[in-house]
Amino acid sequence: MDSIASFLTNMADEAEAKPGREAGATAATERKPRGAAGFKSAEQGFPLMPVGEAFDMGHAPDGTPLLDPRIFDAPEFYRNPYPYYKIMRDHYPVYFDKLHNCYYVTRYDDITACYFDDEGFNTIPKGSSSGVLGNTQLELSGVEHRRRRNLYGQHLVGKSLDNRLHAIQSIAEEMIDDFANLDESIKQDRNGVRTIDVGRAFANEFPIRVVCDVLGFPKESRKDFYYWYNSMMSGLGGSETHHQGLEARQHLEEYVGELVEERRKNPTYLYDANGKPVSKDVISKLCESQVDGDYLSTEEITSNIALVVGGGGETTRGAILNMGYLLLQHPDQFKAVMEDDGLWDSAFHETLRHSTPIGGQPRHNSFDIELHGVKVPAGSLVNMVDFSANHDERIFKDPETFNIFRPDLYSGKLLRSGYRKEGRCSHMAFGVGPHLCPGAWISHQEAVIGSKILWHKLKNPRINVEKMPKDIDGASLAPIGLISVKELWIDYDLN
Amino acid sequence: MSTDVKQADRPPVYGTGAPDPNAFAGRNGVPLYARRGKLSDYRTYEIYQRERVHESTEKIRPIQLSSPDFARDPYPLLTILCENYPCYRDWLGNSFWITRYDDVSSLFADDANFETRPKTWYYQIEGYGRDLREELPVLEAQARRIDANAARLAGEIAEDMRAKGGADLALEFAARFPMELLACVLDLPREDFPAFVERYWRMQRGRLWEPRMRQSGLQAIHELTDYFRPILERRRADPGDDLISAVAALDADGGPTRAEDLVVTLLEQDHETLHGGLANMWFLLLTHPDQFDVVRDDRRMVKFAWLEMLRHSTPVVTADRFARHEVERFGRLLPNGGLLHLSAAAANRDPRQYENPDRFIVGRKDLCQREPRGQYRADGLPAGIAFGLGKPSRHPAVPEDRPRSLYAIARDTATTASNVLLDTLPDLRLRPGTSPSLRALRLGEMHACWTLPVVF
Repeated sequence: MDSIASFLTNMADEAEAKPGREAGATAATERKPRGAAGFKSAEQGFPLMPVGEAFDMGHAPDGTPLLDPRIFDAPEFYRNPYPYYKIMRDHYPVYFDKLHNCYYVTRYDDITACYFDDEGFNTIPKGSSSGVLGNTQLELSGVEHRRRRNLYGQHLVGKSLDNRLHAIQSIAEEMIDDFANLDESIKQDRNGVRTIDVGRAFANEFPIRVVCDVLGFPKESRKDFYYWYNSMMSGLGGSETHHQGLEARQHLEEYVGELVEERRKNPTYLYDANGKPVSKDVISKLCESQVDGDYLSTEEITSNIALVVGGGGETTRGAILNMGYLLLQHPDQFKAVMEDDGLWDSAFHETLRHSTPIGGQPRHNSFDIELHGVKVPAGSLVNMVDFSANHDERIFKDPETFNIFRPDLYSGKLLRSGYRKEGRCSHMAFGVGPHLCPGAWISHQEAVIGSKILWHKLKNPRINVEKMPKDIDGASLAPIGLISVKELWIDYDLN
Repeated sequence: MSTDVKQADRPPVYGTGAPDPNAFAGRNGVPLYARRGKLSDYRTYEIYQRERVHESTEKIRPIQLSSPDFARDPYPLLTILCENYPCYRDWLGNSFWITRYDDVSSLFADDANFETRPKTWYYQIEGYGRDLREELPVLEAQARRIDANAARLAGEIAEDMRAKGGADLALEFAARFPMELLACVLDLPREDFPAFVERYWRMQRGRLWEPRMRQSGLQAIHELTDYFRPILERRRADPGDDLISAVAALDADGGPTRAEDLVVTLLEQDHETLHGGLANMWFLLLTHPDQFDVVRDDRRMVKFAWLEMLRHSTPVVTADRFARHEVERFGRLLPNGGLLHLSAAAANRDPRQYENPDRFIVGRKDLCQREPRGQYRADGLPAGIAFGLGKPSRHPAVPEDRPRSLYAIARDTATTASNVLLDTLPDLRLRPGTSPSLRALRLGEMHACWTLPVVF
C-alpha cells in the first residue's frame, strides 16, 4: 500500500515543479544550461539559452527530442526560436500542439506545397485579424481572391511602381536631411559624433509616409494615420488592446468613407519630378474600379485600405532596421554593399531570409488529411512557419549565418510561383503562391532605396552597442529572433 | 466568323441555362467557397461582422487561461467569463470557452453539431483497440463487482487508517479506494496491484499536452497490453464474473476481443470523478463544520453532500467538444473543427441557476436531488454537471432492470464508502493547523484536493 501512496504523493509533488526543474531532474538532461544562470523567464519558467542552442526538454525512448508546447509562449522562444524550429523540422515536420490546438508545418517544401494548394488549405477567417482589419482578401480564396487582390495589387507593381519611385526617393532624402533637427531624446551630438536611433529617426515613419503618399491620403491625415496604424496593429490577435483596434478601425472607416466620396468626384494624382501628373493615386483608382460591372463599395475599399495601412508599415520598418542591424554587424558585407549598389538586392533578400519580419500564415485544411504520419482533422488550424522555412537546411546551407553572397538564395525579381532553379531558391518572407504579399515589390523598393540613401548619407556609421539591448551574457548584442529590431542606435561622424 | 461560333458553344452566362454560381467547383470538383452549393452557404461580410460581437477581450488576458494560477484555482477567471462572455474566443489556445449553465448543458448534449473526441485521438493512436464500455455484459460485470465489494474495500481501508492513528484522506482514502475498486472489478492478483496502479495513472495522464507524459503514457499503454494479454486468454478459457471475463467472452464486430480492446476500454473510462469527488467532498465537509454536522446527524444527507460537491467543486472542470461543421451559436460563427471548452466549473456556479452559487450547502433547494434526466434536469431543477459520468440519460428511470447509469453507480459507491468511513472513524476531523486546498496537478487535469490530513 505504501508504494501506491508514495507514487501518488510523487505525482502531487511533481505538479509543483517548473518546466526547468523537471527537465533537470531526468537522467538524460543533467547538463546545466550554459551561461543562463540567473536568467529565468518570468512567465513560463524556461531559462534563456545561448543563441542557437535549444533548451533540453527531455527525450522519447528512441532518442527523439521532446518539445513542450509551453515554449511557444516563453520569452526564450521569441529571442532564440531557430534551434526549436530545427527540432520541429527534423523530428516533427507536422507538430501537433495540443495546448494551443493547432498544427505547425515547418519544412520549406511542405509549406510551399500547402501555400499552392488553396483548396486543401483554405483561408476562411478563423484567425484573429478579421475583426480589426475587416473583410480583406487575406481571407478569400480562388478566383474571388485573385480578382480583388489584383484590384489594388496592380497599383503596387510594374509601371505604377516605377512611377512612385521618385516620390519614395524624395521622402527618404527629405527625412534624412532633417536629422539635425531631431528631438534630443533620439539624437545626441558629442565630439563630432552624432548618436541617433534610426528607428524613431527614420525607419518607423518612412514606410508610413510612403503608404500615405501612394494611397493618396492628404498630408494632414498623417497624425491620424499613426493612431490607426498603431491601434490596429496592436489590436490584432484579440489582445487586451483589441477593443482600441476596433475603435481605430471604425475611425479609419469613417475617414476613408468621406475621402472616397470626395475622390469619386475629384480624383487626385501623383506627380513626377517635374510636377507633371503621372497617375491617379490608389484610392482614386479604386474608386473607378469595377467588379462584374459594379463599382466597389466604400466599405470594400476601406477594408483593403486597412490592410495596406497594416501591412505597409510594420514589415518594411522591420526590414530596414533588421538589414541595418545585420549589415553593421558584418562590416565586410556592409563595405561590399556600399561599394557596389548592385548588392542591395542580395542584402535585402538575405535579411528577409535570415530575420523575417512576418513569421508565417495560418491556414485551415478543408479535408481530413494525413501529413508525415500525423492525422489532421478537417478545419484544424495549420500554421505555416515561414521563419522555419527560411532556415531549412534542406534548402539553405548553413542557414543561421548571415551572408549576402550566399549562392543558394535567389535574389532576382520576386515571382508568385517562387523560384527554384539551379540550386537557388527564393526565401519565404513574402509567402508564395496566390497569397504572395502584394506589397512585396513596393516594400522591396522602399527598403532598398531608403537604406541606400540612409547609409550613403551617414559617414562611418557603427552600432552604438551601449544603447542597444544585450544578450544574456550582458555584453554582446541581442539576437533578432521573432521580433524585428525596434530601436537601432548608431553613431556616425559629422565631418 | 469563327469567334461567333465559339461564343454560341459557350453555356449562357445569365438565365436558366447558366451554371449555378454557387456550385462553383475547384480543381478536384470541390466547391471553393459554397460548402454545399447553396446560396445560404455563401458567407457575406455581414456574417463576418458578427465575429466582432463580444470581441473585446480586455477583461482577461488569454494567457491567463493556460497559466499555473488557472490550474490551481479556475473560479475567479471563470466567473469573469461567465458574467461577460457567452462564448469567449481564446485566440491563444485557438478555442472558445462556454461557461453558462444552459449553454454548457445544451452543447454537451448536442451531438448533431458537436463531438467529443476519444482519448485515443488525443494520444494519436486511433484504431489501437475498440472501446467496449457500452457493451451490456461489460456494464453489468462492472456494476456487479462494484456493488459486491465497495463496502468491504472501504472497510479495509478505514481499518488500515485507524490502525495508523492518522491519515491523509486525499491519498489514502480518496485516491486508493477507486483503484482498489478497479482492481477488484478486473479481479487482479494482489501482487500486481502497485504496478497496475502506476501504469494506469501514467496511461490516463498522458493524453494531455505534456510531451513527456505522453511518452510515458504510450509506454504504459503498451505495458498494460502486454500485461493483460495472457490474463485475457486465461479468462477466456476459464471465465469468472469480472470485467475481463466479460470482455473476453464478447465477440463484437471485428472478431474476438484482444488485450488492446481491454486497454482502450480502460483508457476511455472516467478515472477522475470517484477519486476527485471523494477527495473534494471530504475536503468540503471537513472545511465546513456546520455542513459536516448536518451529514453526521442524518446519514441520508451523505448522498446530498455528494450531489452538492459535484456542483460546488466538480473534479472534471472542462469537457472539450469539437464542432462537426460550421455552426452559428451565440451570435458567432463557430468554424468546422473548432474547439470548445465547456466549463462545468463555471456552469455549476452560474448565478442564473443557483442562489449563492459559491456556498456549499448540503441539501440545497435549488439543486436537483436525484439522477438528472435529459439536459441535466429532473424535477425542473438543474443538477451539478459532471462530465466524467457521461451524458444524463434521456430515458426515464424505469425499467428497473436496465443497466444502472455511471451517475448512479458513482453516487452510490461514494455514499457507501463515506458511510463506512464515518462508521469506523466517527470522530474524524481536520488535523489542526493545516489548510488544505483544491488544485489541478496540471492544466487540463482534474481539480481536486491532493492532501487532506485528518486525525480521529
